[in-house]
Amino acid sequence: MTVIGMSARRADGEDKVRGTAVYGMDYTEPGALAGKILRSAVPAARIVALDTSKAEAMPGVRAVATAGDAPGRSGMFFALKDQTLFASGEIRYVGEPLAAVAADTEAQAVAALAAVELTLEPLEPVVDPEQALAKGARQIHPDWASYETLVPAPRGGNLAWEARIDRGDVAEAFRQAHLVVQDEFRAQRQHQSSIEPHAVVARYSGGRYVVHTPTQFPFNVRGRIAELLGIRPSDVRVIVPVIGGGFGGKLDVMLEPFACILARKSGRPVRIVNTRREELATCGPRENAIVRLRTAVARDGTILAQEGGIIADNGANSSGETVACANVAGLVLGGTYRIPNARYVSKVAYTNTPPTAAFRGVNGPYCVYAQELHMDHIARELGMDRRELRMRNLIRAGDEMVNGQRLDDAYLAQAMERAEQIRPWREALGAASEADGRLRGAAIVPLTWITNPGPAGATVKLEDDGTATVMCAAAEIGTGAVATGIRQIVAEELGLRFEDVQVSPADTDTGGYDNGAQGSRTTFGMGNAVLDASSKVREQVIQSAADLLEAAPADLTLAGGSVQVVGDPDKSVPLAAVAATALFTRGPIVASGRFAAPPIPFDAGCMAGALFTHFAAATYHAHMAEVEVDPETGKVSVLRYVVVQDVGRAINPQMIEGQIQGGVLQGLGYALFENLRVGEGGEVLDQSLESYRLPGAADAPPIDIAICENPCPYGPLGAKGVAEPSIIPVAAVIACAVADAIGKPVTELPLTPFAVLAAMRG
Amino acid sequence: MPYSFTVNGKQAASSAPGLTPLISVLRDELGLRGAKLACGEGRCGACTVLVDGRPVASCLYPLANADSAAVRTVEGLAAPGGPLTPVQDALLSSGGVQCGACIPGIVMTLTALLESATELDDASVREELAGNICRCTGYQKIIDATLRASGARSGGGQA
Repeated sequence: MTVIGMSARRADGEDKVRGTAVYGMDYTEPGALAGKILRSAVPAARIVALDTSKAEAMPGVRAVATAGDAPGRSGMFFALKDQTLFASGEIRYVGEPLAAVAADTEAQAVAALAAVELTLEPLEPVVDPEQALAKGARQIHPDWASYETLVPAPRGGNLAWEARIDRGDVAEAFRQAHLVVQDEFRAQRQHQSSIEPHAVVARYSGGRYVVHTPTQFPFNVRGRIAELLGIRPSDVRVIVPVIGGGFGGKLDVMLEPFACILARKSGRPVRIVNTRREELATCGPRENAIVRLRTAVARDGTILAQEGGIIADNGANSSGETVACANVAGLVLGGTYRIPNARYVSKVAYTNTPPTAAFRGVNGPYCVYAQELHMDHIARELGMDRRELRMRNLIRAGDEMVNGQRLDDAYLAQAMERAEQIRPWREALGAASEADGRLRGAAIVPLTWITNPGPAGATVKLEDDGTATVMCAAAEIGTGAVATGIRQIVAEELGLRFEDVQVSPADTDTGGYDNGAQGSRTTFGMGNAVLDASSKVREQVIQSAADLLEAAPADLTLAGGSVQVVGDPDKSVPLAAVAATALFTRGPIVASGRFAAPPIPFDAGCMAGALFTHFAAATYHAHMAEVEVDPETGKVSVLRYVVVQDVGRAINPQMIEGQIQGGVLQGLGYALFENLRVGEGGEVLDQSLESYRLPGAADAPPIDIAICENPCPYGPLGAKGVAEPSIIPVAAVIACAVADAIGKPVTELPLTPFAVLAAMRG
Repeated sequence: MPYSFTVNGKQAASSAPGLTPLISVLRDELGLRGAKLACGEGRCGACTVLVDGRPVASCLYPLANADSAAVRTVEGLAAPGGPLTPVQDALLSSGGVQCGACIPGIVMTLTALLESATELDDASVREELAGNICRCTGYQKIIDATLRASGARSGGGQA
């Protein structure tokens, strides 16, 4: 019996339903002090004086930290190093850290923050990203030219970063066009809002920092702490408790460096936990953005060329992923349809607002939203069916995407056909037109998306009871990638039961490098590393078993927790006996494995400022939606939703379904109401879950799911990334269906009842 | 005057001020860390416990109101090491748990629902979950689990 394709129950599940799982927010250590951070109340100012002497003398205060304690300059993924831990000299956003205090109690820490004396000289805030890029705007980082970057990129003034894709002869294609269509779309900030807030406990012992934090990416947090504090990465050990959700929001360092400094200065463990208000006001959301598209089309609907301009709001610094992902915008715009001539310019602008960051799908959701409404506009101008226009331009197997990468396994046409089997397009359109006075609409959207190709290392050892233990730094953020997926891969390779594979908690000291739980990569990247390690363990097992069984290694197989001679079922030896014997003959059975994504050919010369250059282990999708709009209130109801998703190989179908259902609902929240508003003074207006509404059970539509297996030659057992992409096409397909229902385009997210009513009247 | 009540059937008392949120007493005085202080503003429901059988947001619920009451938390559902309750088990067999931070609250809401309701369907479970946010799952598998636990979904059964 194979464990691949089995819906194994998650290994961490019992603790979670019993309430005994120790999350980051539950973790503490004996004698831990309470840490609190003083944050700026103004968006832009020069710091004339910051005096902590009174705060230091307050009752219970054990340590105070300020800019002098964190000399380093850093940035997410080390892409653009424009961030200091504390505002230093200049304040750039509401919420920027100014000082931190550790005290015996939280109340004492809060009281001490109030005693910090601050003298500021206000500066004019620059809040709008487009105005920030305009000539004459005040420079938010006057020293921008001195900042280190990972790769060269066009930059300057408030242009934090630019990523460009330029391919073919765009001007000539526009000259030959039958039709030119252009549009502009806007999208809001969306907050990850994991149920667990950011939380950390740090202590300083043996000259090193030991940090317990529920992070998605332990090695990134380690490196970022080190860079901000001006120490070596190996001076920091990151250990990951149970994580209460992330969605990108726990990829980067957040509270950890403050706790480290306070722990060193106080000699005590320091615990910091964000309030919900701090979460919403200071933990980077998906960026707000403007997308402008202009497309040249032939008479038959063939796309000849496209120009795209994206302006994404970086906020005040690059402590989030917005810069690192700038080029994903061009790749996703040019990854689903054949666009032979293209120019995409993705600009990331500094503003005096809280930094934006990674949220599941990064800049995909708004780029796809823009592209698909734009496609509908083209179809309208041509008088062409919307699905037919998409099918005509769809990338087929062997076609190139915009960066020149050939997609030999493209599965978009098949995904669209699968959706057609579930809900024929004509029937959906028919239902929309026969809605009997009610406003109904339908839409279908194809999508190509990436699996994050980052590296992974793991060690697998065979225990003397015949079970296996995996040591790695892959974080289980809830997807089941560690709690089921990589366990299933190891169990399959070693012929073990699922229950006989353990994974030790993620720890940067004991686990090999892992590129983080992001971009659907854990089952893919870490899956490959544990498969590599397991196959070496398997070889060691077979060597030792061959000695015991007096058989040729080639005749042996692993199954049911033992090694068997093929064709002679009576001759077998349990893995426990193999492990025990090997201990004193060949040595303990243990092996390390690793993974780096294979190089994929593409046209590197067509891109500038690109940290993501291609789509590794690309996945293919089709989403379809049918909606109804209440003409009186503008409220959108989703009547039906279809997801067709290529997963390469389904390791755990139930977990995949769960990722799809959860991603669609997050996407629906983004499409319809989630909106982290920023006021004119650069402050986050939505500072509680009362006004920042998260989707509830009543918001979840019925979803038909088709999981398709289109194997990846370099994925573990053919698997591709699964968890991230279901959020990406949702805003697009919902907005296209709403536009269909009301007969008017919708050019700004979210589609609140007010926005829909305004569009209907517009 | 200390407040006294039962927690998971055992006598408990607290001399904290009456307006202290019940969750502080449960977590910090009684060591019951199942209920989660996740939003602290009564919106997410991860702190849900039962007071005399009714789900309450323990991050807002004043200690004084729990005086003489029977409080139940997630730790009181299944004995340590003992079998899970049907809804706990169904949440796992249905795949209704991802990060799980909402689950200590959701499982209490669902426990109260399953103990009080006779007939359940998809819509009634959704309605009952109005006070609990799950950011991971999209709720469907939680609803499937509830119906499975209630025996309302034929062919579901327990794994």
